[in-house]
Amino acid sequence: MSMADLLNIEDLHLEFHTYDGVAKVLAGVDLRMQRGDVLGLVGETGCGKSMTALSVPRLIPMPPGKITAGRVTFDGEDILSKSEGEMETFRASHLGMIFQDPVTNLNPLFTIREQLVDSVLYQQARGQKVPGRWKGFMPSVRQLRQEAQERAVELMRLTGIPDGDKRIFEYPHQFSGGMRQRVLIAMALAGDPDLLIADEPTTALDVTIQAQILRLIRSLVKQLGLTVLLITHNLGVVARSCERVAVMYSGRVVEESPVRELFKNPKHPYTRGLINAVPQKDVSRGGLIGIPGMIPNLIDPPAGCRFHPRCEHVMDICRRQVPAATSVGAEHRASCFLYPEDA
Amino acid sequence: MNLRFYLLRRIALIVPTLIGLSILTFSIARLVPGDPVGLAAGPQATAEIKEALRREFGLDQPLPVQYINYMAGLFRGDWGQSLYTRRDVLPDLRTFWPATLELTTIAVIIATLLGVPAGVISAMYRNRLPDHIARILSLFFVSFPAFWLAMIFQTWFGRDLGMFPINKRLPVLVAPPATTTGLFLIDSLIQLDFETFLISLKHIFVPSLVLSFSAFASITRITRASMVEALEKDFVRMERAIGIPYRIIIFKYVLRNAFIATITVISLNFGWLMAGAILIETIFDWPGLGLYAVHASLSLDFQPIMGIAFLYGVVFSLINILTDMVYGMLDPRIRYG
Repeated sequence: MSMADLLNIEDLHLEFHTYDGVAKVLAGVDLRMQRGDVLGLVGETGCGKSMTALSVPRLIPMPPGKITAGRVTFDGEDILSKSEGEMETFRASHLGMIFQDPVTNLNPLFTIREQLVDSVLYQQARGQKVPGRWKGFMPSVRQLRQEAQERAVELMRLTGIPDGDKRIFEYPHQFSGGMRQRVLIAMALAGDPDLLIADEPTTALDVTIQAQILRLIRSLVKQLGLTVLLITHNLGVVARSCERVAVMYSGRVVEESPVRELFKNPKHPYTRGLINAVPQKDVSRGGLIGIPGMIPNLIDPPAGCRFHPRCEHVMDICRRQVPAATSVGAEHRASCFLYPEDA
Repeated sequence: MNLRFYLLRRIALIVPTLIGLSILTFSIARLVPGDPVGLAAGPQATAEIKEALRREFGLDQPLPVQYINYMAGLFRGDWGQSLYTRRDVLPDLRTFWPATLELTTIAVIIATLLGVPAGVISAMYRNRLPDHIARILSLFFVSFPAFWLAMIFQTWFGRDLGMFPINKRLPVLVAPPATTTGLFLIDSLIQLDFETFLISLKHIFVPSLVLSFSAFASITRITRASMVEALEKDFVRMERAIGIPYRIIIFKYVLRNAFIATITVISLNFGWLMAGAILIETIFDWPGLGLYAVHASLSLDFQPIMGIAFLYGVVFSLINILTDMVYGMLDPRIRYG
């Protein structure tokens, strides 16, 4: 069954060495994706969702970060044992990634053309040598770059940027935030990636633009059959854009299920609290409902289940042991002692 | 489109700068204690001789009149006369200035060609061996006094290795190329006289290398610092995530972001080196403006002092304008107007 997985993260442990001590940022993350999956990864700030995502392209700064245990395999290949050079080829051929802030994620000093053409050339080259721009006097190189530019304009059209053939000559600061995010999506898609990782792609955008970008991602999923790992703290985004969802809490995936099932029938106490905390139009509920307590300190996390100090169903065993993921429904798993294996 | 207007305005703004500068240097040169005429006329001169000299140089007139006379002369191309040599200042500057300009330019080029790669390597291998080596080297070069390094290099290159001549711009028996710019390297190329070109290149190598050290150090340090900062930018992570090779990211995308600070330091160094060339020119017997300036200041020879200050004022202002132009070439967000 694991042979069919496109991405398989198993028991991933990540530590960060800080001045205050060792922060156990990821404490046994398990995550699986098949081709064509659109998986939402949700959780609060600091729960490790971005670090989980960055472990796939291996962009976690090390040091101070250190992977102490676990495996990450992509299409059966072990990612963690690759050399840096192999990783460059791997990222170029299989991954696309978009980030939160479209303003800082585009290089301000280069035209969209320069950045998009390079994305196309290096991703399509898949690790092979790409002739530099200065070799443009050679007809073959000029031809290559011309084709890459045509592909770039095509990508701009695909991501909904009007007048791509003219706007490609502009600089990032001449684009609006939403348009820049579209450019970044175009760059990520330049090499037909097997997996698109979107790390909070709408968080830095206006609400109306957020909706447009989500609609774009959904339509790209349909058109291109993309596999997407969408990281967000916003359950609404997950509800609208994903098929499956994994909920993270303090360095672990605590619940995983199809989206509908999760909202209808949340199992883990943390997931329930999270869904309850979403503001409703219904005023009679009486304002916002939060989860009591604070997110745990990662340097000295609570023993056992890290959620136990905030859990209303806390039992003795929760303070001693880390719960394993158990099946709680069709394709629905939760890591909580409320649902023992034999239930 | 606005660029031409901007350039004209910047050049026009040099004028008030130079007027301010001339008032300042004029006042300092005249108000400093000491009697230049007494120094020039010598200890045996009688009061009458000194008086005659004073009248000849217009020093008997009130200061504002002297100033206006001087400025009027400046625009006519009469930059005054040396009290000592009785030679006109402007032709002297024309003779000595190209030697200093040539020395300084080559030094800045060497410092840039060595300093920028050193800074980039330093930043790429932050806190690892190459970084330590580059940082120790730059600390070394900025800490050792230039005159000491100059003598060490004279000994090594000149005496022990015998590879390079260690004084003057050309050997006595080689005729300098016909003067077009006064820069021997360029003049000899214009004449297609490659032999003289090579000889003067050999002559300029050691002094400009020594002169470049302090600039090398500061260029390395600023390049390293701004590269480190630029490497932390979000777009670097994005470029890596989508599979652009690291060396392309470094040398194409990051270096340009880091280069604005580097350009600033390079242009500042150009000015500092022109001033700092005095020492090197003395040691290498380089017939430049530095030696000329030292002699003039020691003897309170005010006309050459004013002339040199004025010349440097113009050069500094032009370098500044040029630097601002380069900013605009590097960063499309910078608009002139």
